[in-house]
Amino acid sequence: MIEHRLHRLKIQITQIVVFVSCLLSLVSLGVAEDRFFEIRAKKFSYTPNIIKVNKGDVVKIRLISEDVYHGLFLDGYGINTLAYPGQEGAVKFVADKTGRFSFRCSHTCGEFHPYMIGYLYVSPNRLFPLGASGILVFAALSLALSFRKSGKAAKFKLFGLVPLDWRFELTRFKVVRNLFKNRWFPFIPIVINLFVFTIILLAGILGGWGAGNYNFGVMIVWILWWVLLMMFMVPVVGRLWCMVCPFPLIGEWMQRGKLIGVGRQKSWGLNKKWPNKWKNLWPLVILFWISTWFSGFFTVRPLATFMLLGTIIVLAIVISIVYEKRTFCITMCPVSGFMGLYSNFSLCAVRRKDPEVCQKHTLKTCFLGNEKGYGCPWMELPYEMNRNTYCGLCLECFKTCPYDNMGFFLRPFGQDLFAERRRTDDLYRRRGLDEAFKGLTMMGIFLSFFIAFQGPFGHLKDMARATTLGGYLAYLAESFLVDFIFIPGLLLLFAFLSKRMSRTKEVSLKTVFVNLSYALVPVGLAIWAGFSLGIILPNGSYLLHILSDPFALGWNLFGTANFPWTPVFTGIMPYLQVLTVMIGLLFALDLGYKLSLQTYKTVEESRRGWIPILVYLVIIHLFFLKLFCG
Amino acid sequence: MTRKTNEIIAVALIVLSTIGTVIGVFAVEKFRRGRIYTVELIARQPKYGNWYPKKFTVPYGKETRILIRNIETVSHGFAIPDLNVAAKEIKAGEVVVVKFTPDKKGTFPFMCTVWCSDEHLHMTGEITVE
Ligand code: SF4
Ligand code: SF4
Ligand SMILES: [Cu+2]
Repeated sequence: MIEHRLHRLKIQITQIVVFVSCLLSLVSLGVAEDRFFEIRAKKFSYTPNIIKVNKGDVVKIRLISEDVYHGLFLDGYGINTLAYPGQEGAVKFVADKTGRFSFRCSHTCGEFHPYMIGYLYVSPNRLFPLGASGILVFAALSLALSFRKSGKAAKFKLFGLVPLDWRFELTRFKVVRNLFKNRWFPFIPIVINLFVFTIILLAGILGGWGAGNYNFGVMIVWILWWVLLMMFMVPVVGRLWCMVCPFPLIGEWMQRGKLIGVGRQKSWGLNKKWPNKWKNLWPLVILFWISTWFSGFFTVRPLATFMLLGTIIVLAIVISIVYEKRTFCITMCPVSGFMGLYSNFSLCAVRRKDPEVCQKHTLKTCFLGNEKGYGCPWMELPYEMNRNTYCGLCLECFKTCPYDNMGFFLRPFGQDLFAERRRTDDLYRRRGLDEAFKGLTMMGIFLSFFIAFQGPFGHLKDMARATTLGGYLAYLAESFLVDFIFIPGLLLLFAFLSKRMSRTKEVSLKTVFVNLSYALVPVGLAIWAGFSLGIILPNGSYLLHILSDPFALGWNLFGTANFPWTPVFTGIMPYLQVLTVMIGLLFALDLGYKLSLQTYKTVEESRRGWIPILVYLVIIHLFFLKLFCG
Repeated sequence: MTRKTNEIIAVALIVLSTIGTVIGVFAVEKFRRGRIYTVELIARQPKYGNWYPKKFTVPYGKETRILIRNIETVSHGFAIPDLNVAAKEIKAGEVVVVKFTPDKKGTFPFMCTVWCSDEHLHMTGEITVE
């Protein structure tokens, strides 16, 4: 019944949307005008940076450069012009496509050149109202569904389809199992990666303080690697990167004294223990946030990328000499934190197969190690591990388990968010505010990055690249306020409302805050995927250049060294970004209500407690929609 | 394979992929430059170091290659008007090779031909042909 009514409601809403947008386009039809803009380009902004026209207008733009060569490439229209002091550029077009389009500098003009952006609005913007009604419809549907279900379902099902505890073992195939048990795997991919990173470091040093967009190091790390990480590796395989990461290789070699064979289990170094109460994500939350202070440098300056990677490599070696096992990875690697948190959403996981086999096997070789392999370097307890945060996919436990009881599983997205608490979670103070703040700061960092690097505001770019010390400090202060006060504060407010509305006495506010913050895991992944689209689509073509001439020595290895900068699909980019955000929202709604069920004692409490969180998700998604297309 | 050989192969792979790569890159580059007489010229705004080297000498009547590396963040150009040699525009991060055979002896000015900064007009140097 309800489903039927909902269906009708949906149709009605779509009709209204269609009607309103028809009305809007009618209004704008009759009044096509000639519009003229004079845009002045100066490192690294346009004045005016935002221009607005109506559909059908004939737009003329004169581009004037006030310092060096600048260009203007208009997304969606594919129009390009160049200006040079004393030589203007001009474009003329009919604004027949509606929405928000970025115009970008098309001629390398300085280190921030890839971030030199302005916005053209051609109204009516259909995508925003469409997206907004989508968000509201999804939220309404989710609410209705949550009130329909009778009682706590015995089994959670993702979107009511796949049971959340469903899993399929990939290592049941002999080939995969044998590969995972081989001591040369993942050593070989690590060595290949080592080769790539040697080129990156060399290119970074040779590239010096020059422009990043023609540098192998900068482009591979910040375009290819970052995008692959956020759009594929983490959401699909979890810490796949850690499996093949070359940074801990040298340190681990020193600890073990062997590369392939199995030497002694105890490190040859000092083998110190990291304090238990800091074996959680807190150090990583802080360190990643600090490393974002310099994003205005290392994404554009080859030498800065070199220094960042160099620091990580040296630190990884030093820490592995002093501390045991992968202490560096668990507590210090800047990217480890979000990979860990977001891996809980991923499609793949290493888990034990049969709990009884583990119980009978009293000598836990997966933790202690044996002659076949090392005890879990990430200091996990593979025999009871139920979440991905701290599993580096190093595959040692496949080698050390004498009963082949470890498996590599495919499972539904988000399974780990519902895992039971374990003893080590309390011992190491894990799965508390540390993971909540990791998720929240990632949202804040996304905001700062998106507005500064993909937005049209020149003064923000000047702040991020520290043209004045005061501006830079203000940028850092803003990022602190947003990441650690404002965004967590907003969630706290709604967590408080949620607890109030549920009218429960037994669940603490902190528990509500922490549990419901996990609904932000798919959200975080989705907005970062959207951000990544904004990097790869306009700038991916640089990769062809740097692959052919990695050291800027005039090589042409693959014949693509002179391939010009060519943005692809940037016209439909806002649509793709809105799509990713919507997918994130769907997951957040589905998983969020289940988290609410898990947090509160009764179904009634969970339903009432869910409403404020739903409102919160709607608010932040409307905001993201505004960022991407409004 | 014994354990020992395993370790040796692994170490060899690591050395090859790091030190080997670096040596390989420099060796290839050296070989590439060795075949024709080559001068490497670095282009930067006067503020950040100007042409480097500002003066250089090339042999008369022999094919010469000038490898101009713009290691900066704005475009530059290159021209030796007296020898009829020019590279239109060298974008930031780009490398341009100009090949020519000097047919006049003497010292000639060369300069940047793209407005790169306020001191653009000072971005000049001297080439000597002997
Ligand atoms: S945590 Fe960092 S250093 Fe460690 S394996 Fe993963 S990416 Fe590499
Ligand atoms: S040994 Fe530890 S880190 Fe490695 S795959 Fe197994 S559980 Fe994960
Ligand atoms: Cu520009």
